[in-house]
Amino acid sequence: MSDAEPAVVLDGVTKKYGDFTAVSEVNLVVPRGSIYGFLGPNGAGKTTTIRMILDIVKPTQGRISVLGADSALKVRDRIGYLPEEKGLYKKMKSWAIIAYFARLKGLDAKTAKTRAFALLEKYGLKDFTNARCETLSKGMGQKVQVLASIAHEPEFVILDEPFSGLDPANQQVMESVVRDMRARGTTVIFSTHVMSHAERMCDRILLIAKAKKIFDGTIPEAKKLIPRRVRVGGQTVATLQRLPGVVGVTALSAAGEAPRWDLTLADGADPHELLRRCFRDGLELDSFELYEPTLHDVFLQLVGEGAKVASFR
Amino acid sequence: MRNAILVAGREYGENARTKGFWVNLLLFPVLLVVSVKLPEFLQEKAKPVRNYVLVDQSGEFEAAVAKGMQRLHGLKTAAALMKHAQRHADPEKVAAQKSVDWTQLPADQMGEFNLSGDLAEQMRQQAEQNPMLAAVLADPANLAPFEAMLRLQMKPDAPAFAPPRQDYQRVALPPGVDASLASAELARALKPYLSGDEMPGTDRGLFALVILPPDAGLKLKRPTDATAATQDSGHGADGVQFWSANLTDKELEEEIQDALNSEVRRREYRQRGVDHRTVEEVQRTQIQFAAFDPSKAEGEERVSLADTLRKWAPVGFVYLLFVAIFNTVVMLLNNTVEEKSNRIIEVLVSSATPGEIMMGKLMGIAGVGLTMLAAWVLSLIGVLLYFAGPSADWPGQLLDVIQTSGLLPLFIFYFVCGYLMYAGIFLAVGSLCNTVKEAQNFVGSAIVLLMVPLFTMVFIAQEPNGTLATVMSWIPIYTPFTMMNRAAADPPLFDLVGTGILMAVTALLMLWGSGKIFRMGILRTGQPPKFLELLRAIRTPDRLQ
Repeated sequence: MSDAEPAVVLDGVTKKYGDFTAVSEVNLVVPRGSIYGFLGPNGAGKTTTIRMILDIVKPTQGRISVLGADSALKVRDRIGYLPEEKGLYKKMKSWAIIAYFARLKGLDAKTAKTRAFALLEKYGLKDFTNARCETLSKGMGQKVQVLASIAHEPEFVILDEPFSGLDPANQQVMESVVRDMRARGTTVIFSTHVMSHAERMCDRILLIAKAKKIFDGTIPEAKKLIPRRVRVGGQTVATLQRLPGVVGVTALSAAGEAPRWDLTLADGADPHELLRRCFRDGLELDSFELYEPTLHDVFLQLVGEGAKVASFR
Repeated sequence: MRNAILVAGREYGENARTKGFWVNLLLFPVLLVVSVKLPEFLQEKAKPVRNYVLVDQSGEFEAAVAKGMQRLHGLKTAAALMKHAQRHADPEKVAAQKSVDWTQLPADQMGEFNLSGDLAEQMRQQAEQNPMLAAVLADPANLAPFEAMLRLQMKPDAPAFAPPRQDYQRVALPPGVDASLASAELARALKPYLSGDEMPGTDRGLFALVILPPDAGLKLKRPTDATAATQDSGHGADGVQFWSANLTDKELEEEIQDALNSEVRRREYRQRGVDHRTVEEVQRTQIQFAAFDPSKAEGEERVSLADTLRKWAPVGFVYLLFVAIFNTVVMLLNNTVEEKSNRIIEVLVSSATPGEIMMGKLMGIAGVGLTMLAAWVLSLIGVLLYFAGPSADWPGQLLDVIQTSGLLPLFIFYFVCGYLMYAGIFLAVGSLCNTVKEAQNFVGSAIVLLMVPLFTMVFIAQEPNGTLATVMSWIPIYTPFTMMNRAAADPPLFDLVGTGILMAVTALLMLWGSGKIFRMGILRTGQPPKFLELLRAIRTPDRLQ
């Protein structure tokens, strides 16, 4: 198996529960060593896709290969998994539960225990090493569970909603966990609906909504998908609308304030060309701002109304 | 397999650390000790000394009642003395003695005897039939020679015998109450004391008031004047009256009644010219009678305490089996539901196959169950060994029965098979429930089914090879309990082997089916599937996903 071989390949994967289609015809290649974000509204099919990758759930159609094997179960010792709903054995101690899951993944008892202690110390849980899980707060429990899923130092880790339920400080810790894994060359897939995490951390993203893949690729690629925006100060709607390449004008300022506008540009329109044109026509602008869309904008734009519908299903 | 062992280890570790497990473990020997010790304790300590007032207005029966009370105390002393002797008996010395039937011996001719058999009971019965013996024993001064005789068969370091206290204390009427008052007025005067007020000169209330009216000796019921008895206005107001607020302890009432009746009868004999000694001799004449068991070897057919225990010991084991199986499968159910409800199961499934998880859980909890059983059996044997005298009171006999009957290996066998069968059902159900509450609903109905063998166990012990027993034996889910129940009664080999095979096959089928349900159920969320859906699912495993 070469390094060039992808960590995960999904080929036309569909999952149906009776009449309900949870995932439809998804193709995906997750390169080795990449941090891959699975984005999508609630109920889009992220968790089902993750379960299919892990071979916990069998796809109705399509093929999945993980680390070169046709089932994740065959290479399960090289995979780490944090499920969406978090839970721990209430009566077990933090270190013991981490060591237990590491041993299930093939570590010997001694190494597993050493790793558990080291991880708890590294990520700020040293004082809770011997605490029973039922005494941990939700955030701490979640951190313990994350550590339990990576203690065996897997090549490939899947984290389903690792950030949900964590306070900002712990989200930072969680991000550092993922970055540490990236530094080791671990392939990471995580799902989230917090775009800022994805934007900061992901090499590539998969966007699904209503069971269908909408996009996969790098974040710059994703941002190119939506029309670019320019924010200007001064002038009137009528003037701005006449400019070439401008397909929409939205007011950013309230009545009585100095006017500010958000211009939506047509696909392929060059904002520099727009600025030159204003110059040439002698249109005075108070400000001109090239506005880079965030992943959040991409998400809302691509998922659109579908997101709202899906989230209330 | 490695993973299954890891899962098993965790399950075992977690459940063996729970308080319930240790309570179960420790409670059993404690209950055993209590069941051996409590009756003794209650006899000796818990029952307070009872005060009674006897007003004999006839002046004829006081001596008779006193004699009766003396006899009662003598009986108790006799039993206590024999128990004491037995507890400290020296087996070698006992073996050298021969048994003597005390019922046929005058009180002054008690020679050699043997401390075997349930002597305390024997002694009590014999003393009952030989009033002289009881009378002699009631006086502490007379105990010394008896104890000296018994000491010949006791260990040299045996402590001295402490005679039991008098259980009943006759007290005088309170000052100011005239003994010649009419019955109703006497009763009225003493009512406060009967209902708890302290009697003057004592530290407690009055247990009973016995009033013998002046003509008590004339108020007799005879078979010849049945009509007179019915005319007696129902409540016998004219006869002897026994007043007591305690309706459950009838000992004193019965003893006084017996004493009065014997006295009245003795007078009758005299009046009618019958020698009452002759009558007593006649009354002590017995036919030789013994019960025999045809299934036993020639020469050993006499039914002994051991045989009774042999018959009833399986009932105890059925109960233990029930508790052990039910406890463990409920653990299994709870753990599975816990893992499912907090989604640990997903992590497990991504680390081990459902088969490994299930096997691990089965093994781990079986280990918990077996530990519990081992602890119970060991503590049972330990407690019995501790209490068993060298002779034959019940702990020793029971120990002997356990050692010789082969009940123990059967017990383990039926535990393992029963456990696997029920574990299959409970695991499958656990995998389908999302919350402990859902699971409890199921347990509620399952327990009704599981209880059946508990209801039938007494009947089956009485008729171990009857229709009920046979039918129940062939219902696989009841086989472990029923066959355990019948184990001591030599059930037909066909039943023993046949039901064993049927049960083992059922257990395997259950495990196979529940394995399939488990595999699908553990990842399923939402409503538990309907029964038909389940059947379909067993045939086509992907249906539930």
